[in-house]
Amino acid sequence: MIQEPFVNDTSPMQRLDPRSRILMATAFAFVVALSDLLSALLPALVVSAVLMVISGLPVRDVLKRLMVVNGFVLFLWLVVPVTFPGTPLFHLGPLTATWEGVLVSARITIKCNAILLVFIALVAVSPVATLGAALARMRVPEKIVLLLLMSYRYIFVMETEYQRLARSASVRGFRPSTSIHTYRTFAYLIGMLFVRASARAERVYAAMLCRGFSGKFHSLRDFSFSKKDGIWAVCMTGALLAIGAAEWMH
Amino acid sequence: MDALNPVIELEQIRFGYDAGKPVLNDLTFSLHEGQKVGLIGYNGSGKTTLLHLIMGLVTPSSGTIRVLGRRIETRKDFLKVRRTIGLVFQNADDQLFSPTVLEDVAFGPLNLGKTPKEARRMAMETLESLNLQGFEDRITHRLSGGEKRLVSLATVLVMQPKALLLDEPTTGLDEKARVRIAFLLNHLDISMVIVSHEYDFLKEAVPRIYSMKDGRIQYDADTGALHGHIHRHPAERHPHRL
Amino acid sequence: MHISEGVLSGPVLVSGIALAAAGTAIGLKKLDVDRIPRAAILSAAFFVASLIHIPIGPSSVHLILNGIVGLLLGWGAFPVILVGLVLQAVLFQFGGITTLGVNTVIMALPAVLGYYLFASLVGRRLRVALPAAFACGAFSVLSGAILVGAALAFTEKHFLKAAALVAGAHVPVMVIEGIITAFCVAFLKKVQPDMLPGKKD
Repeated sequence: MIQEPFVNDTSPMQRLDPRSRILMATAFAFVVALSDLLSALLPALVVSAVLMVISGLPVRDVLKRLMVVNGFVLFLWLVVPVTFPGTPLFHLGPLTATWEGVLVSARITIKCNAILLVFIALVAVSPVATLGAALARMRVPEKIVLLLLMSYRYIFVMETEYQRLARSASVRGFRPSTSIHTYRTFAYLIGMLFVRASARAERVYAAMLCRGFSGKFHSLRDFSFSKKDGIWAVCMTGALLAIGAAEWMH
Repeated sequence: MDALNPVIELEQIRFGYDAGKPVLNDLTFSLHEGQKVGLIGYNGSGKTTLLHLIMGLVTPSSGTIRVLGRRIETRKDFLKVRRTIGLVFQNADDQLFSPTVLEDVAFGPLNLGKTPKEARRMAMETLESLNLQGFEDRITHRLSGGEKRLVSLATVLVMQPKALLLDEPTTGLDEKARVRIAFLLNHLDISMVIVSHEYDFLKEAVPRIYSMKDGRIQYDADTGALHGHIHRHPAERHPHRL
Repeated sequence: MHISEGVLSGPVLVSGIALAAAGTAIGLKKLDVDRIPRAAILSAAFFVASLIHIPIGPSSVHLILNGIVGLLLGWGAFPVILVGLVLQAVLFQFGGITTLGVNTVIMALPAVLGYYLFASLVGRRLRVALPAAFACGAFSVLSGAILVGAALAFTEKHFLKAAALVAGAHVPVMVIEGIITAFCVAFLKKVQPDMLPGKKD
């Protein structure tokens, strides 16, 4: 089942305005993504760890999640150290790992994980419904917001629909393998999912029309930027300036 | 009661999806203020089509539709109809498309031009009237089947329609939820047409049941005869203590 | 087909954002608001379909499906894929704030190109449509992999070998996507031909 594992009502982050949380996470992500020196990246990693602790999310679950998400980084570790030119560090059969290659990989690992930690602590603590409403209040085009909120809503319906289809295939003895029969079966399951999605779309749209939908999307929620949000924004700006200074004053 | 003003009048309606057999064949029907009518019939007897026709989701090939005495023809007329008559769809997942209950219930009032504050108040009142207080922040896709159905009803009632159309409101519900919905519909003070294939449920919910056959409503048939054998009352000796 | 945070350089990230914004703007313009519910529900279906594990030898792959997204939605692929990535970011904590632009382009640009190259062929009779659908599925993955490679290579010229490996690793996925796209198109042609581009009566 698709879930939102880090949505947490008790997290102190929930008391902050989601708009300012989205902005802070975005600003942090860009500053870190554009930094290259360890003297900037290591403090950034510390900031992300602090935010994670404040968010009160279960550290073990978050770390587990990070492992899974680090797939691309792992791939880079396998390739970059032995393909990057520079001072040899050690030999591995015909391959030579270089200092520079290891350093590049380490930098990417720190950047990626610092950004992810902040993203989880500040953004993934809120359900998509809240984030969508916040985006609407941040002047993101209403078509995108409607698309996001409705996709989110129907992911769960489509998942159930797919499971129903897959179950009916498996009770008739379908066992996936590397074969044309398997690929054809999956293609048909997916095709059927699209057909059902399309039919459902007609009905949903009809139901929306019956309730007076005329193309305008209205959001009910209002957010307020409190003093607490102000303090957070100031602290975050300070931290980002410090990271930026470490990177660019060098 | 029939002396009161008609809300919906259909005359000599014909409709077919393709050139073949018509789904509705010279159908005539009217619903008056305060009336509650059940329509029973087999799958494919045109029950759902009839409801969609009233809402302007499909267009008849011939015949006239009147709502509150006014003839309805153009797209614009139907836009008005949709503010006067509420349709509860068969599948609640088709009806509830917002992430949370409150947002979904407030969707209609917002479309009617209410301010967010008003819409929220109306939504909360409607939820309360259906004994759904505390549901406002629930995530729609995590509701149970019966809860989804009740919230669907709320999304339509909040628009304060003059009449309610319900398409198979008991599909996929267990006995308890079915009894609760029947009781609720029975006590709602609004004209309604309920389409269903469950005689027991209709009997609990509305005082008058017609059957549909061959694209028409059978006014002369004795609907009691549809259902000769006896069923025990689902709520036993306390049918109305739910 | 997804580049992590922290890998790409500033200019590459910014170009990605600019291209994604332009594509999304065109996509939204072509998507009337009354088509949004349809696009959203199809997007949900794509999202779920892209989670399916397809076995290949002892391992398995996820489908990308950007070829079919392009065939069914044309320019709508941009906003739909953008939204899919946002949902992935939040639901699976993939992150991807700075890379949202680049990743959208990596999947949506091939989808739109595939639409222009193959949609009219897919609308024809089965003997033409099936090879075209296969080509569309494979092409969309291939060009996505090339874009991943380009983004890496533009970031750092020494990433070139890594980029080539990424592209190489996508060859099996290309073949599988081609096969699945072809069968899926064959299915839709029988069951619901009006979903596919081409003659509408």
